[in-house]
This record gives sequence, C-alpha cells and structure tokens, in this order.
Amino acid sequence: MYDMKVTEQHVDDLQIKMKAREVDVFYGDTHAIQKVDVDILDKTVTAFIGPSGCGKSTFLRCLNRMNDTIDVARVAGDITLDGEDIYDKRVDPVQLRAKVGMVFQKPNPFPKSIYENVAYGPKIHGLARNKAELDEIVETSLRRAALWDEAKDRLDQPGTGLSGGQQQRLCIARAVATNPEVLLMDEPCSALDPIATAQVEELIDELRTRFSVVIVTHSMQQAARVSQKTAFFHLGELVEYDDTSKIFTNPDDPRTESYITGRIG
Amino acid sequence: MTLLAFALLLLAAVIGYLVNWRAARAIREGGQRLHSLMGFHGLFSLLMILVPVLTVLLLWLGFEGPVINRMILASLPAGELEGLGSGAIQLISAEIRSIAGGRIFGTPEDWKLDAADRLIALRTWSDILLVVVVVILSLGILLFSRSRVTADFRARQASESIVKGLMIACSVVAIFTTVGIIFALVFEAYRFFQIVPFTEFLFGTNWEPQIPIREDQIAAEGAFGWLPVIIGTLVISFVAMFIATPVGLLSAIYLNEFAPKTVRAVVKPVLEILSGVPTVVYGFFAILVVAPALRGTGADLGIDISSNTALAAGGVMGIMLIPFISSFADDALSAVPRSLRDGSLALGATRGETMRKVLFPAAIPGIVGGVLLAVSRAIGETMIVVMAAGLMARMTINPLDSVTTVTVQIVTLLIGDTAFDNPKTLAAFALGLMLFVITLGINVLALRIVRKYREIYD
Amino acid sequence: MADITDRVDPPRKTSLTQSSAAVARRKRADLILQGFGLGAILVAFTVLFILIASLVTTGFSAFVQTHVTLDVYVDPDEISEEQLPRGGFQDVLTDAMLANLPNADPEDDVRAVRAILSNGAQFALRDMVADDPSLIGQTVTMTVPASDPFDQLNKGNVDRATPEGQRRVNDREIEWFDTLDEAGMITTPLNFGLITNADSRFPELAGLRGALVGSFYALLTCFLIAFPVGIGAAIYLEEFAPKNRVSDFIEVNINNLAAVPSVVFGLLALAVFLNWFGLPRSAPFVGGLTLALMTMPTIIIATRAALKAVPPSIREAALGVGASKQQVVFGHVLPLAMPGILTGTIIGLAQALGETAPLLLIGMNAFITSAPSSPFEPATALPTQIYIWADSPERGFVSRTSAAILVLLGFLVTMNAIAIYLRNKFERQW
Repeated sequence: MYDMKVTEQHVDDLQIKMKAREVDVFYGDTHAIQKVDVDILDKTVTAFIGPSGCGKSTFLRCLNRMNDTIDVARVAGDITLDGEDIYDKRVDPVQLRAKVGMVFQKPNPFPKSIYENVAYGPKIHGLARNKAELDEIVETSLRRAALWDEAKDRLDQPGTGLSGGQQQRLCIARAVATNPEVLLMDEPCSALDPIATAQVEELIDELRTRFSVVIVTHSMQQAARVSQKTAFFHLGELVEYDDTSKIFTNPDDPRTESYITGRIG
Repeated sequence: MTLLAFALLLLAAVIGYLVNWRAARAIREGGQRLHSLMGFHGLFSLLMILVPVLTVLLLWLGFEGPVINRMILASLPAGELEGLGSGAIQLISAEIRSIAGGRIFGTPEDWKLDAADRLIALRTWSDILLVVVVVILSLGILLFSRSRVTADFRARQASESIVKGLMIACSVVAIFTTVGIIFALVFEAYRFFQIVPFTEFLFGTNWEPQIPIREDQIAAEGAFGWLPVIIGTLVISFVAMFIATPVGLLSAIYLNEFAPKTVRAVVKPVLEILSGVPTVVYGFFAILVVAPALRGTGADLGIDISSNTALAAGGVMGIMLIPFISSFADDALSAVPRSLRDGSLALGATRGETMRKVLFPAAIPGIVGGVLLAVSRAIGETMIVVMAAGLMARMTINPLDSVTTVTVQIVTLLIGDTAFDNPKTLAAFALGLMLFVITLGINVLALRIVRKYREIYD
Repeated sequence: MADITDRVDPPRKTSLTQSSAAVARRKRADLILQGFGLGAILVAFTVLFILIASLVTTGFSAFVQTHVTLDVYVDPDEISEEQLPRGGFQDVLTDAMLANLPNADPEDDVRAVRAILSNGAQFALRDMVADDPSLIGQTVTMTVPASDPFDQLNKGNVDRATPEGQRRVNDREIEWFDTLDEAGMITTPLNFGLITNADSRFPELAGLRGALVGSFYALLTCFLIAFPVGIGAAIYLEEFAPKNRVSDFIEVNINNLAAVPSVVFGLLALAVFLNWFGLPRSAPFVGGLTLALMTMPTIIIATRAALKAVPPSIREAALGVGASKQQVVFGHVLPLAMPGILTGTIIGLAQALGETAPLLLIGMNAFITSAPSSPFEPATALPTQIYIWADSPERGFVSRTSAAILVLLGFLVTMNAIAIYLRNKFERQW
C-alpha cells in the first residue's frame, strides 16, 4: 500500500454522479474558488490535491452545501447530483446531505455511545422500522468501516473513548450508516498515525464498490494510492483534472508537474 | 490630625525617593557604575517608607476606637457596670461618646461626664502619639534606606521583592474575606446555639423570633425552628427556577442556533440590560405591578391569593434569573466544538435535530452548572423577597400563600436595634451561616462541574 | 477486510426536491423549537418593556412638582427680627392663602387651607426673611411646593368621580384648588428638588441629594480599595504565582467569593466592621468597604482575563531585551490590558451601585434629612433610598420611588455604556 502504485481502472463506462460547472465561492470579499468544472463519477474515488489554502476543502464543502452553515460564504455556479441542481431553491440541504455524506479532517464522534453514534443518522432519517433493523444497520456499517471486531463488545461505551484511528473509522461508519450515494472525505487521515492511515485507506478502496468517494488530501502518495481520478487545485483554480495515472505520470499543466515533483507546495 | 499624619507620611516617602535618587546620581557622577538605575534607588526608599508606616497607620486607626473604649470602660468607677448586660454597657459607652461629641441629652451622671472628658483627652493623646510615631518611623526608615545606597546595591531586586510582597498581600485579601465571613458567622452562630439548642434550630417547625426584650414584657416566647423559613425559601426558589430555566434555556437555544446575526445583536444587549437591573428595582416591580396583577387575576378566577404571595416574589426572581441562565447556556452551547455540529449537519440532520440530539446533550454539564449557580442565587437573593415576600414563617408549600425566606428573616432581624447579646440578633447569624453553607455547597459543586466540562473541550 | 456483509440496500431513488411526509414532520419539529425559542425571548422582552413602562408612567410625574405662587404679606406682628425662630410663618402663609380663597372660612378652615401648602413652605419663607430682614413688613411673591394630596390632584392621580369619602381631598378642597388654579397661581415646573433636596417625611420635599452623595462616597471608597487590591491580586495570580495548590486554592476561593450571597457580606460587615472594629453605623465609608470586598472578585476575574488576552509574544519580546519580569508586566502588559481592566472595573462598580442588602445591614437605610459632608457621617445610598421610599405609605412616594429608580438606572446605563465604549474602542485582535 505504501508504494506509488497507481490504481488502474477504466472509468469511461461509469456514469457521472455529480457535475460542477463554473463554480465560484466567496468568503466575504475573498474569492476563494474561481470557475471550477468537475465531474464526479459513480463508484470511483476522486482525489482533490493541491497546496494548503488552495480551496480544495472549500470546494468539497460545496458538494453537500456545508458552506451554507458559514454565514459569510456565498456559492455561485451549477452543481448537480444525478442531474438535479443541488442549489435549487426547492432543494432541502437536509435531504441533500442524507445522500452526500461527509467525513471530516479531525475525528468528531458525538459524546454518545458507539452504537448511538452509528445509529444517529438512520434514526433521524427513519431508515429502520424497528430495533432489530437498527441493530443490523449499525452492525453492517461498523463492518464496512472495519471497526466491528474492535467495537462489537463495547457498543455502549462512549465513542470518544476510542483511539484516533478508531474514532475516524467510527465517523466513517456513522456516515455510511445513512446509506449515502456520495461520500466526501476532508483529509480524513491527516490526524492519524501511519497504521491507522493504512487502515482507512484500505477502507476507502472497499467503499468505492458502493459509493462515489471524493477525498481531499494534502498527500500526493495517498491520492495516488486510493484514487482513480485526481483534480489538482492551485490558488482557488482547478488546474487539471484527469485520470490519476495521467496526473501523476504525464500531467499537461506545468504547475501540476511542479507540484507533483515537489517544486511548489 | 489623622490627615496630618497621612500628609507627613506622603511627604516623607517623596523625600525618601529624592534623597536616594540624588545619592545614586552622586555615585554615578563620581564615575562608578551603578548596579541599578537611579529611579530604583528612589523607588526602594519610597516603598520602604510607605508600606510599613502606612500599615502601622491603618492598624492604629482600626484599633484606636476599640482600645480607647476598653480603657474608658475600665476606668469607670467600680460598681457602675456591675450586673449590666453587654447591651446596656454598649449603650453607656455610646452615651459617653455622644457627650464627648458635644451632644448632651438630659442630665447625665457626673461619672459619665468625667468619662467623656477622659475620652476626649485620650483621643487627643492618641492623635498626637500617632503623628509622633509616623514621623519617627518615617525618618528612621528614610535614614536606613539612604544608608543602603551604594554602587553595588541591587535596588531593583529589593524594590521588586517589596512589590511582589504587596501583590501577594493583595491576593491574600480574598482569603481573609472568606476567613472573616466564616469566622464572623461561626462565632455569632455559636453564641446563638448556646442559647437555643442546635437540634431545636434545625428541626423546629416554628419560627417566632419576637422575644421579650424586658423581663416583664408580654410577648410570645420566642421560637427558633428554621424549617418553615428554609421551606419558604425553597418554595420561592422553585417558582423562580420554574420560570427562569425553560425561558432561559429556550432563548439560549434560539440565540445560539437559529437567530440571525441582527437578532442576536439586539437580543444579547437587551438580556444584558435585564441582568444589570439592581434587585431592589425588581423588588419594587414586584410590589408595584406583579403582585397586584396576580391578586387581580386570582380574584377574577375566584382564587384567594395573598398580597405577598410566593408567586410574585418567585416570579420576579425568575425574570431576574432569565438572562443569567440564558447567557450561561449560550456559553455552554458555544463551547461545544464546531466539528460536532458539522458532523451532525453533514449526516443530514436539521438544525433543530442537531441542537436537540447533539449540541444540547453535549452541553448538558455546562448548562447544569449554570442552573445550579442560578439556584444558589435564588436562595441567596435578598431585596426582591424583602420587598415582596412575607414576614410570617409558615409551614406551607403552597406558592399562592405568603411565605418568608432565610434572607428576609436575616434583614428584618437586623434592621433596627442590633444588640449582640440578644438571641434575636444572633439568630440572624445562625441563618446566615446556614445560607452560606448551602450556597457554598451548591457553588462548589456547580463550579466543579463547569470546570470539568471546560476541560473536556479545551 | 473481507467480512463486509452484503446487505441489499433498498433502492432510494428519490428526487432532491420531492418532499416526503417524514421530512415535513422533521421540519415542523424544527419550527416548533424555533417558535419556543422566539417565544422565550419575547417573554423576556415583554417583561423588560412592562418594567420600564411601569416605572416611566409612575415615575414620570415626580420629575415635575406642583407649586403655588403666593403674595405673602410678612406681618411684623407675627414675625420679628429678634425672635425669628419663633415667628408665625405658618400663620402668615395661611393668611395669604385665605386672601385668595373667598369661600373659605377664616376661622374653621384654617387647618384645611394650611394643608394645601407643603410643610416646607414656612421654612422657605423663614430662610428668605433670615437672609433679608428688610422684608419684614413688606409683601413678597414666593413660589412654594403644594402638599402631596394636591400635587396628586394636579397631576390627575385623584379621580374626581370617586365618592368623596374615598378621596384624600374632599370636594371643598378641590374647589379651593380650582380657584387657585383659575387665578393662575398653580404652576408645575421641573422638580429640581428631586436632586437638590435631601430626604424628608413629606413626599413633595423629599429628594435624592443625601442618597447621591452617600452613593458617591461609598463608590469612591469601594473603587479606591477594590481597584488597586484587585489588580495587585490579579497580576500576582496571573503573572507571578507558581502553579501550586496554594494559588489553586486562592483561585477557587475567589470564584466562590464572587457567588456568595450579598447579604452574607452584610453580616460580615455588621459583625466585623461595626461590632468588632467599632466603625460608625450608616457611614458610606463602611458601605464602600463592604462593597469593595464584593467587587474585588469581579475586578480580579476581569483583570486576569485582560492579562491573559495580551499575547505571550509581547512578554517574550520585552524579556528578550533584558527587562525584568516586573518591568515587563508593569511597563508593557498592564498598559495593554488596561482597557479590559477598566471595563471590568466599571461593570463591577455598576453592580456595587445597585447593591442594597449589605447596606441595609450596616444601617444605610436610616432616615437622614441632610447630605453627609464626609464618608464617615450617616447617609443613605441610592438603592437603600429606593427601598425606604418603596416602604413609605404616602402616594407621593410611589412616583418618587419610580423616579429614583429611573435616576439609578440612568447612572447604570451610563456606566455600562462607558464600559462598552471602552471595550469596543480598545478591543484589538492580536
């Protein structure tokens, strides 16, 4: 998992899940994102890379309208999910976020039991009709997050008592439990040690079989390891977007090449 | 004369500064290198004079009155004070003082006039002695400080350690205040419990502190069972919390999660105004508006509501506590990390669900701490109840009735005559001790909860 | 990683814009919660509005005072220069009144007519004559306050429709008053007496001067003690104290002291300051001492917060050029923290200004008819004066109480406004 192996996959036959056109984001007077066009494919891991402050996280937060929760943020342009405009006035961000889940940079388990953490989403969305179904969802989600074996005997203990890597997998399990169609991950491994990082990366590869995954990372190795498509952001612009193998071996833009080879960053 | 003493001390301090400063300058001009700046040599002298002499001066003024009083009482002709209680002795010394002050009522006995003359003489001597002591001490220290000025003298370190000592003394004032409170309450309450047994006070259900002052006076035998008083306190506090907790918490929830910026910008200052209103104003509001309104409503509904019902005092106290609880809960909610809120919203939870299921439960310890502090405030609140609650102690938990509280009893027992040998006066200190213990217990618990809670998210 | 169970996910191909019943229910729950929150805030606002409105409507009328303007013949038979204190000023005034009331009987109605004027009128006349003895034998025009019942009548607080027996002024008295009014003798000027007079048993004469001076002395004492001691303690605890159990204990102690009920401080003052040290009762100095003990925790906590807000880089920069720790603190950190300290101090003093209970216990609720000339003389304070007036039965004291409260609130608003101004002006982002 630690070499610069680039996952080969044919992505031409996969359908487009989310489509962004001419997206601009403003924070107050700051023009954080300029005219970004990206297609997110279904059942694919897409990586956003770039130096810090380049706007990749900001753009990620546009995809499930988490920028709505920041007063000064303003988004312009079109973003669609399965052809529907997610910034349409009639769209309820609550319903959107049920379909587009998110995992954050720092593990943020709720101060509740492990079980309650995972059951939180299914409960509010009414995904389970009874306790047995809920139990099943919790177990499945924890298994998918590769946490079941470690957590099954301590489901009623607080999620905050887990180790950092376990906490992040718990957050992934929590996001998976609502059965989203797209999973956004904002530097999910930046707060983790190498072993926990490896576990999470393995997990991302598994998740790809069910969801479309978008991951923001500052680590090029990580992008190369887990993603099939890669977008390179620089100073609020999308510089280049292509197959990961192409970006890392033969980029079109000189800026991308500089970044890949470590000359800017 | 006292003013003269202060002026002389100040003058000596300034002179000390100048003397040392010039001495230091002379050394430097003599070509030697000083260890400390000239200003520090001056400061050293100034502090050396000011601190000890000022302490002596203040102690002198503090103890002058009691000491002279003792001396006067001791010098009275033998037999005059025999068999008198401490209240009567206090009266006599007060009379002597007022004669000495030139206010003579009636025709006092000769020995009182003599005592007044002696009092005046003693005071004059004390004043003169004070000035002499100040002058001698100041001069002595001035000369001593001057003698320390050498090129090697570490004047900066020396004056800095004096300043540090002063700062430590300031910090210790807080401890002395606490010790003073505890000592005063325990001492007077102990005297009370020598007259009234502790168990009778703690378990008695009858509170009638109107005891006869003279032997032959016809009055009820005093009864000092505090249960009806504390029950009244709890009834009013309960009414207050019943109003303040829901209103305060809901407004905090709204302000923290839902309110647009503009609304928050208006509501926050208004709540601050509400919390800055003195309690005496709330008390007047209770008797001017709330109690008549409640009585009127009660009359319309055919319910008999007492004119100083616990509902009026408790309700107004609840209003007073709304901003307290609200700002505490707002702070507690704001202390919940943003990541938890984001996490919940990203799962598709609504803002309300995020508040109810994540933020509020996470903030519970902080909120509980705030509510507990509010309870302690309600129990210790004085003016609202003094003005709007009753005086009669009743064993009732009906909030429509008139009840009394611990603080009301303390104030009514101590307004007017305060002879310190009378169980009526001392009873106020016993109540004060209980009040202090109860509120301290709640506060310690609340502050500990809040502190623990802050540690979790820091 | 192999044991991922294959649960068949139910197909959920719902459109984003299509709203389900479940979502609608969740949104309703949100709205209900918001509604409750808004309702709670409205409750607080309504109460504040009622509070202010009731104070203004009752207190407003005390800012003006009904006066009667009279031509008084200073009769040499009644008043002589030699026997000024025993002069019949009351009779002279009554005669002047009777002269204007043709339908009043000079024998039977003397008492009733006399009662129209405030009891203070005779002293005002006496002071005039004492200042200028040549007035004896002449006719002077003077404006004197009307007594409380007629003041209330003039301000419309007496309903003329109520049966005579339930009014404080009877029909004849109302008739007299109307006669005077028609003669243009009744005026209602601004009531400067509210500020310049000291307390009195007669509402129309009672003013706040004694209370204002008393409060000023008490706050001055409080400031002079609490400010330096509080800052000294805060600097030590924040900058110098070793982090050990002693400083922990002091800190816990200060936090608890801030939450001790104010009446307990009153007990402390009574037992220690009055009983043990024999300090004078009712003196603003003792009140200020007590308030200082209560304000100190507030100042310490505010000062420590302000010191904490000064970034360590400033300290390191100064220490780096060889300044001693104290030079750094007093020369650099303290000046930068000063706005925050002052804000906290003003807020603490505003609290002290409104504090009542401890002042009651040290006797600052005495009835004192002159302003104190030093902090050691008996006096009242603004809040205790409010308490005294609220307790007085006369109708005129109700509006005076409200007016006094408005004055007190005026001071508090001013102090808080200064604090907010300081905070905003000097607030900086490091």
